[in-house]
Amino acid sequence: MKISVNTEIALTYLSSRKKQTLIAALGVMFGVSMFIFMQSLMKGTNDYFEKMSFTNTPHIRMYSENKVADAHMLTGFLKDSSVKLLVNPKQLIQRQGIINPYGVIDQVRRNPEVAYITPQVTANVIYTSGNVQLNGTVAGVNITEEDKMFDVKGNMVEGNLEDLNRVNNSVLIGKGLADKLSLRLGDNITVGSGTGKPMVMRIVGIYSSGVKQVDETKSYANIIQAQNLMGKDRSYVTDIKVNLKNYHQAATVARDFETLTGLKAEDWEQANSTLKTAFKIRAMILNSVVGVILLVAGFGIYNILNMTIYEKIKEIAILKAEGFSGKSVTSIFLQQAVYIGLMGGIIGLCFGMLISYGFSKVYIGGSAPTGGTLNYIPMSFYVPHYIEAILFGILTTIAAGYFPARKASRVDPVTIIRG
Amino acid sequence: MANSALKATGISKYFHDPVDMPVLKNISLEVAAGEFVSIVGKSGSGKSTLLYVLSTMDTDYEGSLEINGEVATGKKLNELARIRNLSIGFVFQFHYLLPDFTCLKNVMIPALRLGKWSYKEVEERAYAKMKLFGVEDQALKKANKLSGGQQQRVAIARALINDPAIIMGDEPTGNLDSKNTGIVFDLFQQLSKEFKQTLITVTHDEDFAKRSDRVIEMADGEIRSHGN
Repeated sequence: MKISVNTEIALTYLSSRKKQTLIAALGVMFGVSMFIFMQSLMKGTNDYFEKMSFTNTPHIRMYSENKVADAHMLTGFLKDSSVKLLVNPKQLIQRQGIINPYGVIDQVRRNPEVAYITPQVTANVIYTSGNVQLNGTVAGVNITEEDKMFDVKGNMVEGNLEDLNRVNNSVLIGKGLADKLSLRLGDNITVGSGTGKPMVMRIVGIYSSGVKQVDETKSYANIIQAQNLMGKDRSYVTDIKVNLKNYHQAATVARDFETLTGLKAEDWEQANSTLKTAFKIRAMILNSVVGVILLVAGFGIYNILNMTIYEKIKEIAILKAEGFSGKSVTSIFLQQAVYIGLMGGIIGLCFGMLISYGFSKVYIGGSAPTGGTLNYIPMSFYVPHYIEAILFGILTTIAAGYFPARKASRVDPVTIIRG
Repeated sequence: MANSALKATGISKYFHDPVDMPVLKNISLEVAAGEFVSIVGKSGSGKSTLLYVLSTMDTDYEGSLEINGEVATGKKLNELARIRNLSIGFVFQFHYLLPDFTCLKNVMIPALRLGKWSYKEVEERAYAKMKLFGVEDQALKKANKLSGGQQQRVAIARALINDPAIIMGDEPTGNLDSKNTGIVFDLFQQLSKEFKQTLITVTHDEDFAKRSDRVIEMADGEIRSHGN
């Protein structure tokens, strides 16, 4: 292998000061491994919460929004030229639920991004058992489709999902609700909505989603029963839930649906805006911590190279006398920085992966009373993080090495040699 | 002179600190190829300053300088570095070997920089040059493990590695005892006689100066005698 003389000198300098080289590399190593660890933790956590949010939020939920009267409705009557003022506007009287829901579903299904689509009747209800009453919602769904989208089966504690289609007036309740009302599989529960007659429903299953608020309020019923509960006809649908092939597209696809159907289409990011804000803040905190670590590592390298240059100023002068140009001298010292960065970076990669792996085995769940599904610290092993980490590491060292290297290249051999 | 190795015309130089003071006053000088020239003079006569101007390392002067027929004045620093690498070898009063490298590497580095020969050839050349000075058995030792005389001989071997047209010495024997001085002098003479290399040395050593081909005497920034 043929290596240039600059490289050879750079490597000799590094190897003749092993301790300092190692310390400089350790700085980079910590920066890089912390970067990886934090990114892995952050992505792992974010992915987990995203996944969690998809256990009860569809990628896009479409519903008809209550409209408030606005002046544009007067345009047809008063023409454009007039100024319209609407005092004390009121909500429009409109049909509740989505108009022609199955037509809308057919239309939306044509979009190639759509993976699953299912109608739902959401009813706000009061559960009654004995003399205890609790508020909640009944989601009238096609349970087979619902299961495909949200893995309801995976949350089942007792009972059978399919019984919802087989047993008349059946309901699937959350574990929290079951505990509060002291209900068991096969018991009856009275469910009343504001509009229809209260119904006595039979509990065919109990689920636990891990989200306390959901488990204490939400129950599933067949869509027809929910329509009956509300005293509505078979075309009454309140929500259309859509899952996409790629949920990152949700925001743009939702806008398309809005223009297509005239319904409000809420994507999961809007529905979970607090989650998104939390992601952002977490990213900011972690990135600034990593930034500071790399900055400190950078100063370490800067310092060490600066010291090397003071120590070797006579040698630099003699190299220049021998015919090394300023460029060569810069290259010698910049290369030292890059090798420190590479060395620290590679060790950092391994170390970062190791601590990420170690943390992914730390048990944090178990006996939690909420029955959360998060048993181990969520860590993602995402290759771009590793590439970014080593790039950042090397960039830091180049930036830190540049100024000392430039200083070295400007050494005037005459002043140094003549003393 | 058709085969002049170095030609300086009207060189003047000032020191600016603390006040503007002329150190070289309109010096013109020509050295023929293969000539062995000594520059002598009292401390402060400007002889070292002149040498550094001639070496192309000091670019802060007036006048013009030609090395091997190539005008060096006004060239960029990187080009001057290339000229030095190719045509000028240096020997200083102090050896200035790089302590982290073996003696062999020290000798090889200028040739590796030049890139004219393969690594293997450079190594062979370095051994040959070290043999001239009887330090080939020290080749694989670190430079700081040698005695003063050996270090200076390694340093001279390093100056010769690229077969430069001109070898410049700033008190090359200043730190050597008489025995080592003798060895170095004989070698310098051999270089000039047999290999037609030009030698320009600044020295305090009168014996050394007397035995060279020509002695240039300097005083107060001017040449008193060209010694022809």
